[in-house]
Amino acid sequence: MNTQKVISGFFIILAMTLNFGFFYGDIDNFAHHSPYELFATIVVNLIATVLKLGDKTQLGSVLLATSLVADIQLISAAIVWGISVYATSGGIQDSAQIIVSLSGGALMANVVSVILFMGDTLKSKR
Amino acid sequence: MHSSNILWIIIRRMRTPFIVIIVTFAITILGLVIIPGVDAQGRPYHMSFLDAFYFVTFMASTIGFGEIPYEFTYAQRLWVLFSIYIAVIGWFYAIGALVALIQDKQLIEQLRLAKFSRKIKDLKEPFVIILGYNSTTKELIHKLNEDGKRIIVIDKSQDKIDELELENFMPEVYALKANIDSPDSLKLAGITKRNCKAVVALFDNDFKNTKIALLVRLLNPKMNVIVKSSTKEQSEHLKNLGVKNFINPFNLVADRFHLALTAPNLWKLEMLLFQHKQYIKSYEELPKGKYIICGYGRMGKVLKEALDKAQLESVFIDLKSASYKVKKNSAIFGDAQDFKVLLEAGVKDASAIIAATKDDLINLTILLTAKKINPEIYTIARENTNDDITIFNSAKIDRAYIIEEVISEHVHRQISQPLAERFLKELYKQNDKWGLELSKTIRTTTGYNPELFEIRVVKPEAYALTDYLKKGGIVNLGLLARDLSDRNRRAKLVFLMVKNRKEEITLLPDDNYEVKVSDRFLIAATKEAKEDFELLVNNLNEFHYAISGEELNNWALSKILKKKES
Repeated sequence: MNTQKVISGFFIILAMTLNFGFFYGDIDNFAHHSPYELFATIVVNLIATVLKLGDKTQLGSVLLATSLVADIQLISAAIVWGISVYATSGGIQDSAQIIVSLSGGALMANVVSVILFMGDTLKSKR
Repeated sequence: MHSSNILWIIIRRMRTPFIVIIVTFAITILGLVIIPGVDAQGRPYHMSFLDAFYFVTFMASTIGFGEIPYEFTYAQRLWVLFSIYIAVIGWFYAIGALVALIQDKQLIEQLRLAKFSRKIKDLKEPFVIILGYNSTTKELIHKLNEDGKRIIVIDKSQDKIDELELENFMPEVYALKANIDSPDSLKLAGITKRNCKAVVALFDNDFKNTKIALLVRLLNPKMNVIVKSSTKEQSEHLKNLGVKNFINPFNLVADRFHLALTAPNLWKLEMLLFQHKQYIKSYEELPKGKYIICGYGRMGKVLKEALDKAQLESVFIDLKSASYKVKKNSAIFGDAQDFKVLLEAGVKDASAIIAATKDDLINLTILLTAKKINPEIYTIARENTNDDITIFNSAKIDRAYIIEEVISEHVHRQISQPLAERFLKELYKQNDKWGLELSKTIRTTTGYNPELFEIRVVKPEAYALTDYLKKGGIVNLGLLARDLSDRNRRAKLVFLMVKNRKEEITLLPDDNYEVKVSDRFLIAATKEAKEDFELLVNNLNEFHYAISGEELNNWALSKILKKKES
C-alpha cells in the first residue's frame, strides 16, 4: 500500500464529495446549502492543491490545474457570499444562485480531477 | 529549464508548511464559528466565517487587534487560547521554512545557474569558453580581456571562481562553477551558440584535455577546440578526432629554440609578434658551442632534436626530478656527486647548459652549480610555472622558457590575432637574411618596441576607407601610410602582411598594393602611428586629407568665407 496515494486520494475524493454535498439541493433555497460545507470544501480543496504541487509529470500538471480551477471557483463563491451578507443590502438570498452555480463549476473541475486520478491509478502496475 | 528547477525546489520545500497553515487555520476558524458567543445586548450569536477568518489572520500573525466583533465569552476564550498555540506555531513554522529556503544552498545554486544562463543568452558578441582557472589560463584571460574579448570560464572549484571574480575584469568575465567535463555545463556555457568562437582546455592532464576535445567535437562539430597536448601520442589521438588546434608547449619551445640557433633575426621577429619588450635591442644570440641538456623528458628530447637539426654538439645528463627527489631526499641539486656528474658531462668546455626537468628548484640549482664550475657558461632554464619568475630573475639565468607563458601566448594569438599567427607560419619559411632586413626596416621606422595590430577593411573597423572603396575609389597602400600632421611625411608604420578576401597572402606589401574591401592588414607601428592610422581610415576628413592633400570643406561657415575671399 502506498501511503502517499492514500492521502492524496483521500483529499482529492473528499474535495469532490464535499463539493457535491454543498452543491446538491435547490439552487435558490439556502436551507439546502450549508456554509460549513462550503468552508470544509474550500479547506479540503486547498489541501488537495498543495498535495498536487511539485509533481513534475504531465498528469501531475493537469491535476494541479483542475485543483486550481476548483479553488478559484470556490473562493469566488465564498467572496460573493461575504459581500452579499455584509456589503450589500439585498442579503444572502439574492446571491444564492451565483454561489451555488460557482460551486457547481468547482464540482466539475473536481470530477475531472478524480477521473484523472482514477485513470492514473488504474494504469499503474504496482 | 533552470527557472523551473527553482520553482520546483520552492514548491517541494514549502509543501508541508502550506498544509500546516491550511489545517491550523481551518481548525481554528471552524471552532470560532461553531462556538456560540453573545453580542452587545447579551443575545446569543454565531461568529460568521468572515469574522472568524479575519480574527484568525491577525491572531496567527500575532498582530492581535483584540476580540471582535463582540467581547468573547469564556467558552470562546478557551478555544482562542488553544488556537493561539496551534495557529501561531504553524505560522512561525511556515515563516521559518521560508527563511531557511532563501538560504538553501541548492536554491542559491539554482538561482546562480539561472542568472548565468540568462547572461549567456543575452551575450550577443563573439566569445570564448575557457575551461579551468589556473595560472596558465589566468594569464590568457588577462590578455584576451585586454583585447576586449568576451570570455566564459568554467571551473569546478568555488574558490577559483571567487578568485576570478575578485580580479575585476572589464568587460566582465562570466564564471560558472560546474563540472568541466560534463556536457550539461558546456551547453550551459553556450557551446552550441553561434557566437561561441572557441573552447580552450589547457590542463596539465592530457587525458582531460582529450576528453574535453572529444566532448566538444560531439556537441558542436564545427567548434574550434584549442587544447594542450604534451605528447606525440596524444596529439595523434587529437588529430584522429579532427582537432586541428593542439598546443604542444615543448614543441613550441623547441621550434623557437631552433629558430634562435639557426636564424636569430627571424627569431627576433617572432619575439616581436609576441610583443616581447625590447625585442631587437637586448636579446643576445645563443652561443654556437657544445650544449649540455639536463633531464631527458619531453622537453629534453625535443631540444636535443632541435640541436641536432642545427648541427650542434650536445650531451645528455639523464636526470628525472621525481626519482632524484626520492633518491637524495632533497630538491636541491649540487652535492659532491652531482658536481662529478656535471664535470663528466664536460661543463668546463661546454658553452651552454639547459636545465629541462619538471622541477623548477632542481632546474635552478643545476644552473647555479654549473655556473660555479664554469662562470662563462650560458644558462637556459625550463620554468614550469609563472610563480617562480622572480627567483629565476634574481638568479640571473640567461634565458628562461616559461612553459605556462608559452602556452598562453600561443592560445592568445590564435584567438585574438589570427593574422599574426599566419605571419609566423610564413616567417618560418624565410631565411635569416630576409629577417635581418625586415627587422632593420622595423627598427628604423618604428623603433625598438613597435605595437602590432590588425585591421580589416570593413565599415566597423575602417569606415572612411571602406566607404571610399565602395564608391569606386582606388587607394594604393602608400596613400594610407601618411603622417596626419604632414602628408608628405611617411607615418611610422610597416605593413607586414595583407590577407585578401580569397585568403591570399601578400607578405610585406609595397606602396603600390591596391587596397580592396575586406582585406586584412597586419601592421607594426609606434603607438602614435597606430592611433593616427586608425583615425585616418575611419574619419572622413582625415581620410580626404591623406589621399588628396586638401582639407575637406564641409562646414557651411568655411564655404561662405571661401566665397568672400574669392
